Amino acid sequence: MGSWTITKWELKNTLNSKKFLFIFFFQLVVLLMMILFFNNFLAGLESEQEIALSPSLDQFASLGVYDPQNILTPQLNPQILELIPLDSEVEFKGLQNGEFTGKVFLSTDEIFQAEVIEPIPMQLYLDYQDPKRNVIREEVILAQDKSSSLISQIWINDLFPKDEISTPQIEEEVQGEDISLQIIRKLMTAILTFLPLFLFGNLIVDTIVGEKERKTGEMLIAMPLSRGNIILGKSMAVIITMAFQLALWMALMILAGFSLENPLVVYLIVVSTAIPMVGVTGIVASFAKNYKEAGIGITFAYIAIITFLIVPALAYISQPVEILSLSSMTLVIKIVSQDPLSRGDIILPFASIIFLSIIFYYSSIWLFKRDDILFGPRPGIIRLLLDFIGLNKILDFFNHKYKLYK
Amino acid sequence: MINISSLTKCFGKMRALDNLNLDIERGELLGLIGPNGAGKTTAIRIISCILKPDQGEVKVGGYDVLKNPLEIKGMIGYLPEEPNLYERFTAYDLLKYFGELYGVPSDYLDDRIEELLELVDMKSRARHQINTFSKGLRQRIGIARALIHDPEIIIFDEPTMGLDPATSLVIRDFIKSLKGDKTIILCTHYMDEADALCDRVAILNNGRILDLGTPKELKSKIEGDVILKVILNDKSRLNLTNFLNRPEIKNMSWKDNSLILALQSKKDIPFILKLIGTNIKSVNTEEPTLEDVFIQNVSDIQEN
Repeated sequence: MGSWTITKWELKNTLNSKKFLFIFFFQLVVLLMMILFFNNFLAGLESEQEIALSPSLDQFASLGVYDPQNILTPQLNPQILELIPLDSEVEFKGLQNGEFTGKVFLSTDEIFQAEVIEPIPMQLYLDYQDPKRNVIREEVILAQDKSSSLISQIWINDLFPKDEISTPQIEEEVQGEDISLQIIRKLMTAILTFLPLFLFGNLIVDTIVGEKERKTGEMLIAMPLSRGNIILGKSMAVIITMAFQLALWMALMILAGFSLENPLVVYLIVVSTAIPMVGVTGIVASFAKNYKEAGIGITFAYIAIITFLIVPALAYISQPVEILSLSSMTLVIKIVSQDPLSRGDIILPFASIIFLSIIFYYSSIWLFKRDDILFGPRPGIIRLLLDFIGLNKILDFFNHKYKLYK
Repeated sequence: MINISSLTKCFGKMRALDNLNLDIERGELLGLIGPNGAGKTTAIRIISCILKPDQGEVKVGGYDVLKNPLEIKGMIGYLPEEPNLYERFTAYDLLKYFGELYGVPSDYLDDRIEELLELVDMKSRARHQINTFSKGLRQRIGIARALIHDPEIIIFDEPTMGLDPATSLVIRDFIKSLKGDKTIILCTHYMDEADALCDRVAILNNGRILDLGTPKELKSKIEGDVILKVILNDKSRLNLTNFLNRPEIKNMSWKDNSLILALQSKKDIPFILKLIGTNIKSVNTEEPTLEDVFIQNVSDIQEN
């Protein structure tokens, strides 16, 4: 009952704050922009086109091309380069008057005289006053490599007709998508789903450390409710706020065209993950004296959380082993990929969520109950750890015995 | 109502309370006075179950602070030294929040809030945000907050600290009006406040009680009932031997042309004046203050 009263008033207070509402919707807008970015990125990957690091503006630079046998031209990217066919290899007028930035020509005779393993011979002229020349150079060299490979392939095929070639018994085994595409598609979808959980560290800090900084905590502790109720009540308010934003966020993801299988199940998994996450930030907030300390602590906590969530998920993509299901992100990846789920796949992440939640909330409440944490002098982290595992009592006992002996 | 025995509390190597013993009766207003760091706030924080004792026993209304903290907290209304309030809350919301935390029944809570706002003269500011309030208004809301659940015990930690004289007077009158109904602990630096309000006063220093009693008892312990200040026509005409070793006189000193005598009782005044005779230019009496008692107690400790 006491916890719920705190939760209710924390939520009321949070939702009444104009600053919070601004941040809440601003975060959603930023996240939405990220969705659009990833959508475009994935669309680019799926179109099987090369991802060029050069600017993607249409026909960014112009190139004069003399390629009578049409060997190089098909390999040049017309989305980046505006190709201007030339009538002769000695035509330099366009380059001189700035009509185009570069000029490339191929001599047909030389091509087949060259060794097949060498790049096709060509000559490239660039206007060195124009910075776009680098884009042209990059594109032409790329096209040259492709053309050379193609010519080599034709040459090999001519030498060894298909039925004469004895090829080793090697078969390419394809399982689903290319691994890099899998990482981008599955992992990024999962990361985007989990992203809102990392936006509320400030809320738990404000709700607990704020009581210390504003010195309102003493009154709260004097209320007839346990310290556990205070921590749980405040944490619950943060989890509800997270869950609310996550619901909006996932709706936006679906509206933006992300295919999320079983969105409700994914939602419940992510919200469940928020429980230990808020617990660990609660530990930081209980221990911290002020916002500055809490900020540093939350950064370390988030690094640990990200490692715990993402590393097993990444490892799972390359090597599906059951133990890697400990991370709830792995479970989300499996659901998003429509992989078959074993009992262990479901039990392991939820067991880890429950286990970590118990540890984190217990530690957070244990810290918040300590007089020295709230009123000082605050003990060091090692002293606290020894206290937590009960080693200090044993050490104090032997210390006392030693003093008596002396 | 409150029984403290052998209470000890340390913060690191600093001993804030050292074997403290104190009993507070139901309906009593007990003052805790002492210099900064004497242990007053630590003592009331332990009684309010905000801090845990290291050693000793504290019972409030028969409940032990370690075993039944929630029952005790429900009996106590606590106004801390700095009643920092939630700035974004309105006065009404603040009282409602704490009323709900104290478990005041919802059908009664609104009436109780109205009643308290009227009591502290804040009804017109009920819907104003706390961050618009002056220190005096905040203190009034702090008091209303401490009384929201109609507690049996009220603890005020420096309630008039930093307030202007008029607001201090209002707060003191308010505390006086609660006397008798409630058991009250008042921590204060202002000796006149303790003198005027408290049934008994405990003087604390270094975590120990130096003295405990009614203000009158404490004052009479050091100076007697009354101080007689006699300005003489001629100092040299006075025969001092008449005044030596007299049981009526507890203390005697000179200040310029004035003879200052601490007397056992007011009844001794005529006899003393008779001894001085016609050499008297003027006579004045004053009573010792708690401040004198406090300074004497603390300075005795420092000398020792």
